[in-house]
Amino acid sequence: MKGRSILVLSIALVASSAPFAQTDPGQMKPVAYKVVDGNKVDNDTLQGWRTWRALACERCHGAKQEGLVGPSLVDAFKTLDKNEFHRTVFGGRVEKGMPDFSASQMMQKNWENLFAYLKGRSDGKINPGDLQAIDAK
Amino acid sequence: MNLRTLVLGLAVVATAGLNSYVAQADPQLDTLIKNPSNWAAQAGDYSNHRYSTLKQINENNVGKLQVAWTMSTGVLRGHEGSPLVIGDTMYIHSPFPNKVIAINLKDQTFIWQYQPKQDQQVISVMCCDTVNRGLAYGDGKIFLQQADTKLVALDAKTGDVVWSAQNGDPKKGETNTNAPHVFGDKVLTGISGGEFGVRGRLIAYNIKDGKEVWKAYSTGPDSEMLMDAQQTMTWTDGKMTPVGADSSIKSWQGDQWKYGGGTTWGWYAWDPKLNLVYYGTGNPGTWNPTQRPGDNKWSMSIFARDLNTGKAKWVYQMTPHDEWDYDGVNEMILSDLNIGGKKVPAIVHFDRNGFGYTLNRESGELLVAQKYDPAVNWADSVDIKSGLPIRNASYSTQQAGPDHNVKGICPAALGSKDQQPAAFDPNSSLFLVPTNHVCMDYEPFQVDYVSGQPFVGATLSMFPGPNENGSMGNFIAWDAAKGKIAWSKPERFSVWSGALATAGGVVFYGTLEGYIKAVRIKDGKELWKFKTPSGIIGNVFTYQYQGKQYVGVYSGIGGWAGIGMAAGLEKSTEGLGAVGGYRELAKYTALGGTLFVFAIPS
Repeated sequence: MKGRSILVLSIALVASSAPFAQTDPGQMKPVAYKVVDGNKVDNDTLQGWRTWRALACERCHGAKQEGLVGPSLVDAFKTLDKNEFHRTVFGGRVEKGMPDFSASQMMQKNWENLFAYLKGRSDGKINPGDLQAIDAK
Repeated sequence: MNLRTLVLGLAVVATAGLNSYVAQADPQLDTLIKNPSNWAAQAGDYSNHRYSTLKQINENNVGKLQVAWTMSTGVLRGHEGSPLVIGDTMYIHSPFPNKVIAINLKDQTFIWQYQPKQDQQVISVMCCDTVNRGLAYGDGKIFLQQADTKLVALDAKTGDVVWSAQNGDPKKGETNTNAPHVFGDKVLTGISGGEFGVRGRLIAYNIKDGKEVWKAYSTGPDSEMLMDAQQTMTWTDGKMTPVGADSSIKSWQGDQWKYGGGTTWGWYAWDPKLNLVYYGTGNPGTWNPTQRPGDNKWSMSIFARDLNTGKAKWVYQMTPHDEWDYDGVNEMILSDLNIGGKKVPAIVHFDRNGFGYTLNRESGELLVAQKYDPAVNWADSVDIKSGLPIRNASYSTQQAGPDHNVKGICPAALGSKDQQPAAFDPNSSLFLVPTNHVCMDYEPFQVDYVSGQPFVGATLSMFPGPNENGSMGNFIAWDAAKGKIAWSKPERFSVWSGALATAGGVVFYGTLEGYIKAVRIKDGKELWKFKTPSGIIGNVFTYQYQGKQYVGVYSGIGGWAGIGMAAGLEKSTEGLGAVGGYRELAKYTALGGTLFVFAIPS
C-alpha cells in the first residue's frame, strides 16, 4: 500500500511539472533573445513585445519601461529572476495595483517571451519602441 | 386644541406636503444649495457653475488670505473633487480606500468616520490613478460612490449605512471614480472602464431606498439606451432630427457595441424646470480606430435625458469615430446666455477634443463650436450646420493605420481639458477654464477584447504644445456666446484642478506644482498664491461659518497627469518620472493628502 502511494505521488509530481501547467513555471526555456540593429528580434521575443503592448503595461511602467506609477522594469530586471516574474504576472501585487494576468490567454502563452523582451530592454540590447522580425525588410 | 392634536395635525400636513415634492427638487438639498454659507453639492449647484455669491473675500483683500486650518485625509494618491459643507459640518472624502469623515467646523474634531471594505484588486483595473471625485448630499444622507462600484448611502448624522447598491463588476474591468449626483428624488451615478471595453451607462436610484429607477446605456439597442427612434432628436443638417431606429447598433460593426465604452465618469447637470439631466459619454472602447469601423454612437456624446424616466430627449455626438481618446465626459454647464441678442437657455461644454461647445439645452440645437486652444489641429473647425468636425487627415490615426505612428497631434489624449471642471461667473458671463496645452504622438495597434483585461491598443507619447516657453497649460476666460478666449494666463504645467468663481470678482484654481491661486475674473491678474505641500488636482470650494468666509482645496497630486508621481520617484532624469512632459513635475512636488482651508485673518 505504502509503495503504491509513493508511486502515485511521484507520477503526480512528474505530471505537475509538465510544460503546459497553468500556474507552475515547470520546465522553463533559457532566456535567449536574439536582436539585430537594436530593433529586429526573433519571433518569440517579438511575441513578447506584442504582449507588452496588448496588455497596456506602459500605462503603469512607462512606454520605455522606465517606470511611472509602477516601478522601472529596466532597473528591476537587473535582478529579477524568471520565477519571481512568473509569480508577479500570475498573482499580481494587488495592494500596489499590479494586476493578476492569470485570466489572459496571451500572458499564459507568452509570459516567457515577455520576460525575454523585458530582459533585452533592461540589458540595453533591445531598443524601446516598435520592433520587427529579424528577417523583416 | 390640545398638544397631541396639534402634533398629529402637523404631522399630517407635513406628510401631505412631502408627497407633493416627490417629483421635484429634494427640498432639503434645494434649501441648502440656496444658502451660500453651505457648499452642499460638488459644483455648488445643479448647473455646474462652481460659483459662490459670497464676497467677503474679494479682489481688494484676497491678497491677505492665510491658512485657517488643515486636515490630513490619511491617504496618498490623487485627491480630486472637494469636501461638502452643510451647516456646521464638513464632509471630506479620500482616494481609494474612499474614507469619509464628518468634521465639526467648530473645533475640527471628527464626528464620525466611514471606512469602506473594498477588495484591493480594484486598484489594478483603475486606469488613471485611484481618484474619487467626491460625495453628494440629499434627503439626510451622504452618498459615496466607491471604487468597487458600490454606491453607499450614509446617515449624515451618524455615518451609519442606510442602503447600498452595486453598479458593476470589477472583474469585468468596471470601477467608479465619479461623484454621485443628487437630482430631485434620485441619486445618479455612472461607471468607469473605457480602457477595459466596459459598456457605459448612467443609473438613477431612488434616494430613499436605493432601488434602481432606470438605467440608460451609452451603446446598443434602443430599449437599453432608453432612446425613442422618433422622439429622441439629434442636431444634423441645420435642424433637430429624430435619431431613427437602432442609431447606435447601426454605427458599429457586428457586436462591437457590447464592448463599446461610452463610460460616464464626469460631472452631470440638471435643469429642474425642464427636468432634464445632462452628461457626456467616453471613448468607444479600443483606442485603435481601424478595428471598430462606424461612427461608434453614442460614444463621445452629450445626452439630455428626462430625470424621471431616463428617456433621451436629445443627443449630440462631438467626435464621431474617435481616433484619439477624446472622451466626452467633461462637465455640462447650464447657463442662460445672450447669444445674438437673444436670451438662450444654453449648455456649455469644454470637450477633451479642444472645442468649446454651446448648445440650446432645451432643444439640443448646436449654436457655437470653437477651439479653446488655438493649437488644436486634429480638426480645422466644426461645421455648425452638420455638427461635424472638419477633420485634418494629417492627424488621423485611422488613416495612418495600425502600427504607424502619427506625430504631433493636438491636443493629446488627455485633451485641451480633462475632468477638471470650469467655473461660470454670472456677473460677467465668462467661463473660467483650467486647460491643458499638450500634444502627442499616437500609434494604434490591433488588440483583442477579453473581459476584465486592458482593451486599449495604442502607444502614446505626450509633450508640451507649441509655444516659446514650454508651458503645458493655460487658465483662460471664455466667452461662450462668441466662442472666443477673453484672456489667457499660462501655467508651467496643465491646470488640473477645478476652478471656483465668487461674487468677490475672484476666481481660484490650483496648479500641479501645488499652488492655490486667486486671479481677478475681469482680466486674469494674479492677486494671491500659496504653495501647498503637494500638487493640486482637487476643486476649490468656499463656505461661510459664523460669519466668516473660507476657501479650501485638497492638496494631493495624482490623476492621469500626475500619475508618475504616485511611485514616489526621486529623479527627474531623462526617461524617468511622469508621463512625457510631466516628468519635470518630479522637481516640484511629491505625493500628499491634506485639506487646506484659508481665510482673511481677523
